[in-house]
Amino acid sequence: MSLLWLRVAVLLYGVAALAVLPAALYNRPSWRHIAMPAALAGVFFHFVSLAETLVAAHRALPVDTHETLSMLGLLLAAAFLFLAARYHTVSFGIFLLPVAELLAVVPAFHPGHETIAYPLHTGWLFLHIALLLAAYAALFLSLIASLFYLIQERRLKQKLPAPRRTWLPPLETLDQIALKSLLFGLPCMTTGLLIGSVVALQTIGPTFFADPKVLLSIAMWIAYMLMIFIRRHSGLRGRRAVYLSGFVFLVVLAVWSANQLSAVHRFKAP
Amino acid sequence: MSENPNSNLILLGVNHTTAPIEVRERIAIPMARLADATRTLAHQPGIREALILSTCNRVELLTVHEEGSAHDPSTLGFFQDYLNIRATDIQPHLYQFREREAVRHLFRVASSLDSMVVGEPQILGQVKQSWSVAREVGAVKSTLDPLLQRAFSVAKKVRTETHIGNSTVSIASVAAELARKIFGSLSGKTVLLVGAGKMSDLAARHLIQQGATTLLVCNRTEARAQTIADNLRTPTITTGVIPFDQLHEQSYRADIIITSTGAGQIITTDNAKTILQRRRNRPVFFIDIAVPRDVAPAVNKLEGCFVYDIDDLQQVAAANQANRSKEAEAAESIVSREVTRYTERIEQVPATEAIKQLMLDAETLRQNEIARTLQRLSTHPLSPEQQAAIDTLTKSLTAKLLHPQIDSLKKRT
Repeated sequence: MSLLWLRVAVLLYGVAALAVLPAALYNRPSWRHIAMPAALAGVFFHFVSLAETLVAAHRALPVDTHETLSMLGLLLAAAFLFLAARYHTVSFGIFLLPVAELLAVVPAFHPGHETIAYPLHTGWLFLHIALLLAAYAALFLSLIASLFYLIQERRLKQKLPAPRRTWLPPLETLDQIALKSLLFGLPCMTTGLLIGSVVALQTIGPTFFADPKVLLSIAMWIAYMLMIFIRRHSGLRGRRAVYLSGFVFLVVLAVWSANQLSAVHRFKAP
Repeated sequence: MSENPNSNLILLGVNHTTAPIEVRERIAIPMARLADATRTLAHQPGIREALILSTCNRVELLTVHEEGSAHDPSTLGFFQDYLNIRATDIQPHLYQFREREAVRHLFRVASSLDSMVVGEPQILGQVKQSWSVAREVGAVKSTLDPLLQRAFSVAKKVRTETHIGNSTVSIASVAAELARKIFGSLSGKTVLLVGAGKMSDLAARHLIQQGATTLLVCNRTEARAQTIADNLRTPTITTGVIPFDQLHEQSYRADIIITSTGAGQIITTDNAKTILQRRRNRPVFFIDIAVPRDVAPAVNKLEGCFVYDIDDLQQVAAANQANRSKEAEAAESIVSREVTRYTERIEQVPATEAIKQLMLDAETLRQNEIARTLQRLSTHPLSPEQQAAIDTLTKSLTAKLLHPQIDSLKKRT
């Protein structure tokens, strides 16, 4: 049944992703009335599906790559809904909804079969994964907000007429979204990494920290911290902010890729 | 059969395209006199209902006449008598619309398609105000009241289904709209006015209307700066004066800087860099209304600095105006559709009324005949069942006899 709900969610994300284009780019309110309910229903069915999958098959842990990606998709779709409600903009849906769709479509039609090798601390491990995924989602959101900032800044400098400027939120709003998502992501990443370290220490021992992937994670955390520090204290905006966010995003992608190569870290059963 | 309610609808008026300001100002009716003028017009011989729309760009009289005549002496007489203007002075500027075209004109006016600045929102409020006054004095009744209400809903439809009112077209409002695109809400923002001028004053007022809360004024003459600050001060606005020699040191305090000194480039790239540095790269918006320009064009290349000079603002306003014209085409189709819908509905009213009257007459006749029959049979009273049977029989007969006539009336419309 969980697969059915996930497929329904994928379909709804698809509808929302298409409807959000005219709603955001051409400011057509009628399309917004399709995009928003479709995204909301998509998030609901996605959540139901994920909850069912986790409880039934995988000891409450999204260990499979596809499932973790799907959970990231859910977080991104939820972030879109939050931004639409808080800042009255659907522009972020142009990126967030297709990405959520892509992340959910693979597990919907090619579900994973991996199970965890360490049945202990499943609650903590779940928290570790969920918090890190939330931090990744926040970073992705911040990157999009910074990109939008750059586009809007260029458009304003090029002095384009109103209709070509209107689909993006004001610069200051974009700046706030970029910074606030980073500030939200920092405690998520810090707590997620701390929980992961404690659990690893208890189950595998100190050798776990020799894993290059773990060292890369620490580097990622330092980069994340530095980025927030620089943005807050020098007021970094525009092009340089995009470069910085892009760099940290690459670090995160590297950590993610390393995670896929490290069977030890993924607690995967042989 | 009763007449079509719109058959005597006449709209007579002048507007900015037909009459120069000298004529319009002679016939403009101030708000304080509108009720009296509407009452006077409604009491003119042959006029059943009346409404006057008087704005700075138009004076229009919308009337429903007792008789549909080709000439309109009562309305024209009102112009002569009440407004004390000779017919020869006003006639060359007058336009007149009747029936369907009057409906169309009213819908276009309410939807701001006939305005000087197409899409401006004030006209709908002005039409509503005229309607409200005319209602108060009892000058709008069964014809004008539904027509006006329809005009309001058409105007709303035009606003929601097109983007006719989305873009701003005046220099000051373009500046305010751009500021909103940079800062979002202008609440808590500081505006710095450098120099004095009508345009910069207007732009500052627009920004204050949009929520800016602090206004700083910098002028070569400090007393003049103080006067400007005093003129723009309101209970919700904090104002201050910056001495001209401290402009570069103090301008970092402002989010929006409006310059209109015309004294050459008083803000250079280096000045702008210092401002940005002191603002920790928070954006700053320069509105340069001066000729020659006060802000070096290269400042616009700095990240976080947005410079719009008078030409840029005019170009954006012109582009927005062009966009409005495009949207106006869509709006015209909505109006045409709504005019057709409204007139079709109105044309059906006489037939509906005739059918109602026919059925009422037949029912009265039936009731009278039953009463007469029962009277004749009073010596041998009928049982309730028999009375019910007669009732059903006569109802059925009446309905069958009336059916061809009702059908014919319906087909005629």
